[in-house]
Amino acid sequence: MFHWLEKHPFFFAVGVFLVIAFAGLVEILPNFAQAAQPTVGTKPYTVLEMAGREVYIKNSCNACHSQLIRPFKAETDRYGHYSLSGEYAYDRPFLWGSKRTGPDLHRVGNYRTTDWHENHMKDPAAVVPGSIMPAYGWMFTNIADINTAYASQLTNAQFFSVPYNKPVPTKDGGTVTVAMANSVAEANKMALDEAKVITAGMKDKDVQDMVAAGKIPEIVALIAYLNSLK
Amino acid sequence: MENRPLEYDYTVAKMFMLTTVLLGAVGMLIGVILATELAFPGVNTILGGLGLNEFTNFSRLRPLHTDAVVFGFTLSGIWATWYYVGQRVLKVSMAESKVLMFLGKLHFFLYLLVVVAVVGSLFLGITTSKEYAEFEWPIDIAVVLVWVLWGLGIFGLIGIRRERSLYISVWYYIASFLGIAMLYLFNNMEIPTMLAASPAGETGIGAWYHSISMYSGTNDALVQWWYGHNAVAFGFTVPIVAMIYYFLPKESGQAVYSYKLSLLSFWGLMFVYLWAGGHHLLFSTVPDWMQTMGSVFSVVLILPSWGSAINMLLTMKGEWQQVATSPLIKFMVLGSTFYMFSTLEGPIQAIKSVNAIAHFTDWIVGHVHDGVLGWVGFMIMAALFHMAPRVFKKEIYSKSLMGTQFWIQTLGIVLYFTSMWIAGITQGMMWRAHDEYGNLAYSFIDTVTALHPYYTIRAVGGALYLIGFFMFAYNIYKTMTSGRRVEESELQNASPMAA
Amino acid sequence: MDIFQLQGYAYFGLVAFMVVILYSYIYHLYSSEKKGIKDFEKYGNMALKDEITDTPVEKISKDEKN
Repeated sequence: MFHWLEKHPFFFAVGVFLVIAFAGLVEILPNFAQAAQPTVGTKPYTVLEMAGREVYIKNSCNACHSQLIRPFKAETDRYGHYSLSGEYAYDRPFLWGSKRTGPDLHRVGNYRTTDWHENHMKDPAAVVPGSIMPAYGWMFTNIADINTAYASQLTNAQFFSVPYNKPVPTKDGGTVTVAMANSVAEANKMALDEAKVITAGMKDKDVQDMVAAGKIPEIVALIAYLNSLK
Repeated sequence: MENRPLEYDYTVAKMFMLTTVLLGAVGMLIGVILATELAFPGVNTILGGLGLNEFTNFSRLRPLHTDAVVFGFTLSGIWATWYYVGQRVLKVSMAESKVLMFLGKLHFFLYLLVVVAVVGSLFLGITTSKEYAEFEWPIDIAVVLVWVLWGLGIFGLIGIRRERSLYISVWYYIASFLGIAMLYLFNNMEIPTMLAASPAGETGIGAWYHSISMYSGTNDALVQWWYGHNAVAFGFTVPIVAMIYYFLPKESGQAVYSYKLSLLSFWGLMFVYLWAGGHHLLFSTVPDWMQTMGSVFSVVLILPSWGSAINMLLTMKGEWQQVATSPLIKFMVLGSTFYMFSTLEGPIQAIKSVNAIAHFTDWIVGHVHDGVLGWVGFMIMAALFHMAPRVFKKEIYSKSLMGTQFWIQTLGIVLYFTSMWIAGITQGMMWRAHDEYGNLAYSFIDTVTALHPYYTIRAVGGALYLIGFFMFAYNIYKTMTSGRRVEESELQNASPMAA
Repeated sequence: MDIFQLQGYAYFGLVAFMVVILYSYIYHLYSSEKKGIKDFEKYGNMALKDEITDTPVEKISKDEKN
């Protein structure tokens, strides 16, 4: 058998492929259905949060910040309850990260405010002396891409049955419904309404003016997303 | 023309040699910039006056660094050597088949197109966020095409070979081709968001190139790290082993110590490597037994990995004086030593209790770099040094420059990994430290400022390596343009080099 | 039987299978060399004698191309 394989490159290649494929199959596939079940209290992202998530991805925040709290005392003391598999059920892609140059952000919405983020993104070292995080000034002028965020929402709903416009259970036993727009125009209007709530907590005059004029800077979307991480 | 004897045709190999050097320089330069930004954050905004902050920022450059080095430098190196080694060990010239020649060139130019698209899109922040798989779907499709072209090249060349058995290097190239093909395809399953339609009937909403992953949350992480780990296996280990199995025996004139051991470690590696992917997920939400399996197999992995490395070192048996006299052999021998070192370090980090400290810290970054700088970088540069006289029919421009480069880069690597070891363990310990009342002893920022000296040393180490790489590029360039012409008889084993 | 049990069994079965394969391969390598059926070490020369004018270690004959 071995003798023969050595001389038949095609079957040799098939053999190599089987060997490397089988590990992947046994290791990954069977858990798929189970790991995708959302935990109680996990909601789909609203359109502005989704846009913020895309700002987070665009700027590779995950290169320095994890979103995975490990079950150690030191970590739960610092960041809150350890992460559960189902909490990521609506995350496409996942944003666990692999390096903590900065702190974990999985529950940052519990202990940081809109105001804090605003100041921090403008000048991190002024808020946290000694910080090596760069400033993200352009987020205050770049306009968030609401249309693409809406397309992401639609894709989630249509291809993966993410429950938009449907009641999802909350931790206190009630239900909550995350609305998704019926058209691009409506999505932009919903995003703007959300943005107005965020900017009410912000000080930057230019950002407030932009939102008043119907434009949503990236920073507003990003803060909406960060506030949703709980 | 008609009566010229048949020769190996290195046209495509030369093209990929060019991109190896260029993209290597770019990727490593960005790496040094990133290292400097971590040590001195002011560098992030160095072009702020021009309004370019967005594009010189750490977070924007970081994927560019990894992708330039992985998919630029390393892949080009793999292909440059394949289009060289492949012909030689199969004893067939690319000049014998117009089709293969055309496919090879197409392979190169399509690859060049992908490189341009990747650089552009990453600068603009168009990314899927998955590490080493940041490209959006249009680029993914092009990548698959490039890969298929390489596959056609491999199997085409094998199809017209004169040597009946395949040399061990060819096995490794095939495995690399198949492994990456499978991993890349599965990890990049994504749905373009333009396919969705709104209830109002609108389609093609938003950016056309945007997509979302087919897997969600934990599953996405599983697939990603199955990919991430094994892309390292089939990109940084398997093809580099292919290179050393050819270039070390050829350069030293010693046949590989045990061909049987090489066959055996090949299968061992194939089987075991895939299992180790789970160790990236320790203490996450994947089931316990899987985490344990990941750790155990990572430890078992030492054996076949070392089988190859030991085989290489034993190949030098009785010929150790060559290590002293030839800088080219030095690169390869130190390379395989670093390979042993990082394949020992990796499994250690995969042990659960070690991982609890090491994960998310700079120790992991250090581990990646002693493997990549010491093993991948050294081996690819050595391969190019060996190929240059044969491809250009010129003597290597300067042996002493090569020797100096070797020592500068070795020093750079040592500075790099020692500082990252200390940084990683320091930070890992500080994160978990509690005071006598059971409160956390340090705020997060304390654990960041403590790393400043190590980040500075790392930047220096990286800069030394980069300087060495520029010396390498210069040496190759001068070989090409002004080296002495050599005769075929001088090229049998040790590469000819001018003092 | 739930999926995890199945996964466990599949895993063990396949690992056992691979171990048998790997070990019988070792046996194959060494026994066929000892019996003189095949000399594996000569293949090492494929890297050393790789000029296009060199004689192949094992020439491929026209009728057995695959």
